[in-house]
Amino acid sequence: MIRKIFLPSILLVLAYGFWISPDFKEISAGVAIFLFGMLSLEEGFKAFTGGLLENLLRRTTNKLWKSLSFGIITTTVMQSSSLVSVITISFLSAGLISLAAGIGIIFGANLGTTTGAWLVAGFGLKVKISAYAMPMIVFGVILIFQKSKELKGIGYVLTGLGFLFLGIHHMKEGFDAFKDTIDLTTYAVSGYAGIFLFTLLGLIATVVMQSSHATLVLIITALAAHQITYENALALAIGANIGTTVTAILGAMSANVEGRRLAGAHLIFNTVTAAIAIAMIYQLTHIVDLVSGWLGIASDNYTLKLAVFHTIFNLIGVLVMTPFINPMVRFLENFLKPKVRTTAQPRYLNRASIDFAETAINAVRKETLHLYDNAFEIIAGGLRLKPAWIRSDRPITELTNSSTRSREIDIDEQYNRQVKGLYSDIIDYMSEAQPSMSSGQSEELFALRSAGRDLVGAIKDIKHLQKNLERYMMSPNPAIRDEYQSIRGQLASLLRGLELVRHGGDDSATVLSLDELKAEMDEIEGLLDSTVDRLIRNHLITAEMATSLMNDSSYAHDVATKLVSMGEVLFSTGDINLRDAERNIALDDDEIDEALAASR
Amino acid sequence: MNMKKLFAKAENFLNSDKRKRKEKKKCLKHVLKKLRKQEEKFNARLQDETDQAVIDKLNKKIALVHAQRKKGLALMKELREKKKPAQ
Repeated sequence: MIRKIFLPSILLVLAYGFWISPDFKEISAGVAIFLFGMLSLEEGFKAFTGGLLENLLRRTTNKLWKSLSFGIITTTVMQSSSLVSVITISFLSAGLISLAAGIGIIFGANLGTTTGAWLVAGFGLKVKISAYAMPMIVFGVILIFQKSKELKGIGYVLTGLGFLFLGIHHMKEGFDAFKDTIDLTTYAVSGYAGIFLFTLLGLIATVVMQSSHATLVLIITALAAHQITYENALALAIGANIGTTVTAILGAMSANVEGRRLAGAHLIFNTVTAAIAIAMIYQLTHIVDLVSGWLGIASDNYTLKLAVFHTIFNLIGVLVMTPFINPMVRFLENFLKPKVRTTAQPRYLNRASIDFAETAINAVRKETLHLYDNAFEIIAGGLRLKPAWIRSDRPITELTNSSTRSREIDIDEQYNRQVKGLYSDIIDYMSEAQPSMSSGQSEELFALRSAGRDLVGAIKDIKHLQKNLERYMMSPNPAIRDEYQSIRGQLASLLRGLELVRHGGDDSATVLSLDELKAEMDEIEGLLDSTVDRLIRNHLITAEMATSLMNDSSYAHDVATKLVSMGEVLFSTGDINLRDAERNIALDDDEIDEALAASR
Repeated sequence: MNMKKLFAKAENFLNSDKRKRKEKKKCLKHVLKKLRKQEEKFNARLQDETDQAVIDKLNKKIALVHAQRKKGLALMKELREKKKPAQ
């Protein structure tokens, strides 16, 4: 209900405001232009998330100081803590970084966002920035129309900065004109009542504008035009800090439990920091005066003093809260528990990461590995083997001999329960993520799609194979029984080989050892015809048995081929280019034959 | 950094084809280095091995890694040739 009336009420209030005051119209237009600039800036930086930002983020997970610095630097450069929060949430959802690292980044982003106040107060108000805005917009728009993704990205960043400057200019002009007609300082409230009231106002303004940055610029321009008192401006800045968590909470709603935990950490940080700032506001203003004096800021330069205040109170927050990151992680993990998951539910696919190509690819890769785990269980079951046995180092013949007892397994039912839904979710996610991808990234997604298809195909082949497997595994005829046991052994050995490659670590040469498995498979297939001939000639098996054996060997070969080609895609680690290099070097059947023939 | 270098860097950044090719070459080089080490490791093991079955297996491994390296080197050569301007 509230949601339904919220938007129309805001629009009505604004329309009424525009009707009675042209200055209010100019200030609002300034805010709107500023927000549009931020959107454009975010769009521009997204063009570079295809590698640089994600590579950096990946390297900042091992040490807390690195996560903090990453948060500070990226937010300073991009001037948007919300973009950094959203990227961090998407990384966390895709399982690429730990919660503690994510919290470190968010703390850093809180400190990084304070540089915005410095830029506006120190530069934006002193120089006629609208003069820079126009050329920036013109150059930016020209670059947006270029084909190259990088130029387009630079274009969006330039246009974004241009609109930010233009927005600040209009806010400043609006407030300057406003002070001739009305003096807002008459509405100033002093003491703690004023602090609480203006904190609330700052919070509301930030929730409405979805940007603490915009609120802060509004506060600074109003302060510069003497439309609010310094004390009330400080309270507004505190409110803006709490309000910004709303953006993160909204972003986390669609995220998984990890994303929600991060938003929880953000909320705790900003609320605790705000509580400290409110409780110690008079001591803080004293510290601000001292620091400002030390920095050579004039005592009546309230806009720069506000920037000092904003930085100091966020710095205090970081200093106070950083030692509590680990207890905070424990608390959030206990408080926000993941929903009970079935094996068929996706674990890494998340709306939060769909816009970030590299992260989305990683999420798909991890989810397809999850699909592989489910498929592994079904395939092992189809061979009448336990997955744990295959993963152990017990000799393969021992495994195949010790589990000849046939037990009923419904592969169709298992496929529907463990694979079908998950596979559909992966396909669905891929089709949504693909439009924003470059050609190289689309190719990677295509390879992952075929890896999923190979897995599903392998399950179907095992289903066909298991009918005769069940029948001949228990056959009184030792010749046919041995042949089927041998097929089981070969596939079990292949599954073990795949597991070894999968857990082979980051060594890029490991995935190429799959070529060895390919060679073994081809060799076994080559021997099949002569084996069948020999068995028939010696009247050891019937013609019907021979046909079954040939068909089933062909199914087994198909299973192996599909699993190896899946492994080549899924088990290769590192970035896109490295995976691409490995795939290009992997040998095809003819090349394997040629290499082996040359070695003989 | 002088202006010439700065321009070269900017040009390199904007010329995404060139950058992609450079990145590809770097990755290929990395994989080739790993393969070379692997081949050396297999060869060293072969020297000490007496079991014929293991020797056969190692020979197969060496043949495959060698073929992969050969393929990788050919790809590297192709990338290098693309870099050169058309004569």
